[in-house]
Amino acid sequence: MGIQLSDEVISLLNDLNSNKALATVDETGTPNVVHSDSIHVDDDGNINYLEILETSRTNHNLVRSIWFDRTVSVVVSGADSKSFQIKGIPITVHITGPIFQKHYLDIRKRLGDVDLTGVWVIEPHEVIDENIINRKNEEEAKRPFFRHLDRLAKI
Amino acid sequence: MSLALTETFERELSLIDVVAKYPEVPRLIIVKIDAQRRGVYYTDRALSVVDPNIHMVSDTTARELFGGRDDENKSLPISLLLRDGTSVIVTPTPLEQNPYLVDLVDGRLALVDNDEVIEFVELWRKPRYYDLKTSSGIPMSQVLSARPQRLSLVLSNYCHFWTDNKGCLYCDSNRDSKKLKKEIGLPRVKPKDISETVREALKEEGRFSTFCITSGSVLAGNELFDKEVDLYIEALQAIGENFTTKKFPSQMVATAFNEKQLRRLYNETGIMSYTSDLEVLHEDKFQWICPGKADNVGYQGWKQRVIRAVDIFGRGNVASGFVGGVELAKPYGFTREDEALRSTLEEAESLAESGVPAFFVVWVPRAGSIFHDQQAPSLDYYVQLALGLHQLRVKYNLTIDFDDYRRCGNHPDTDLSRTL
Repeated sequence: MGIQLSDEVISLLNDLNSNKALATVDETGTPNVVHSDSIHVDDDGNINYLEILETSRTNHNLVRSIWFDRTVSVVVSGADSKSFQIKGIPITVHITGPIFQKHYLDIRKRLGDVDLTGVWVIEPHEVIDENIINRKNEEEAKRPFFRHLDRLAKI
Repeated sequence: MSLALTETFERELSLIDVVAKYPEVPRLIIVKIDAQRRGVYYTDRALSVVDPNIHMVSDTTARELFGGRDDENKSLPISLLLRDGTSVIVTPTPLEQNPYLVDLVDGRLALVDNDEVIEFVELWRKPRYYDLKTSSGIPMSQVLSARPQRLSLVLSNYCHFWTDNKGCLYCDSNRDSKKLKKEIGLPRVKPKDISETVREALKEEGRFSTFCITSGSVLAGNELFDKEVDLYIEALQAIGENFTTKKFPSQMVATAFNEKQLRRLYNETGIMSYTSDLEVLHEDKFQWICPGKADNVGYQGWKQRVIRAVDIFGRGNVASGFVGGVELAKPYGFTREDEALRSTLEEAESLAESGVPAFFVVWVPRAGSIFHDQQAPSLDYYVQLALGLHQLRVKYNLTIDFDDYRRCGNHPDTDLSRTL
């Protein structure tokens, strides 16, 4: 089942200055990662990814994901070392209709003479805080054995 | 549901069984096949949210080739979209024939079977040009029909093979042509009407990605089919006026033309792909099911014409369609599904070897066809057929870009090929 993204994550995903990437896997499990400025959160709280190419590996992997309920990952990072990974499942792709046509116009206005093959809708299932300080503190609290002794030594 | 039909469906594997049997085939495509095979019935609740100002409904004036499973010509949604972008071109079907229901569930339209939601669906959206008229006063919706991403021109519903009562036995286009003419008085569209309609359609950015042109076969001319070729050229040149490039993404679904005719079509128009349907991939059964095609061109002649078209249009730009399942029609069809499948895929492979991918439509025994009282084969059969045809495309490195999930949407096997 999908989860609701926090305002902080939504804000970061919708920030044009954030770095965003989408990771998918092919039928053999080989990963594929692409950077994309188009990743954003829609009014329903799902993540949207605009795919320009019908034959891209990402598009093919997303098709397999929606067909076989496979998970994809979105990573977003911004200022102040904020970074999150969101795992989710593609639940819809708009290849026609008002949402598709709106994004078709927008992306052409932004990037020039490009096409649009689909607006992928990814339902978020899990959010992982990837800020390294937060991750370190969390791990040390939960798994205190995973530290080198010299870090605890009296100098 | 009739007792005979109930018994038949009870003997078959169910949707759940077939989904479990073929984990390598997407459930969504299996759902599509079954909805096409069994048809749909729109509940009153579903129809209450259909808005003809927004959705494409069969307003009884659109130029589509085929009719339904009953004799009614009601205003119903044209077709459905699944969440993966797959179109489900469905046939309205009376309740007694065991169709899926399209119902309203939690405010959304859904395919429902035995009170269970199978998938939520969306309706096709009406393009803007449907509200306009050409300068000669013809509603543009009567000039070109639309699919989610395709513009379609049916030059004529009338197929001249019917003149000698030799139309294909599964086909109702002739009956539908007479009916449309009688009930609606469909006007004959001129090239100017076509050109104006295309111009308006292209103003809606992102709405269309291909053009499909087709017609019933026309036998007249100095050489057989010359008149049909002339009609296509005239229409395609009118369409082409609206593009900056000579060639534009397009498909012609037409009779098997000779090489000279094909060269004229390719050289004088912007058409990019050519499809000529063998209809049934077996010579003897073609002879029985498609007597007009058999008498005028013959199975081997038809096949060779399609193969030769690859030299003109290029590999990946020629295909042949067939009506999946009619090879099992009674009384002269295959009596066993496994034999029918083996034979059909063998013949499809012989086409693929020559660079021609074969694809199928799910056979719908239509009310106006000679096969109206027959029944399509099992869901299991269709899933194996779709998978087999897709695997041939993989084996022979063949694409089917001009007739895929987006540019057509009526072939389960080409839906599978969207990851090629």
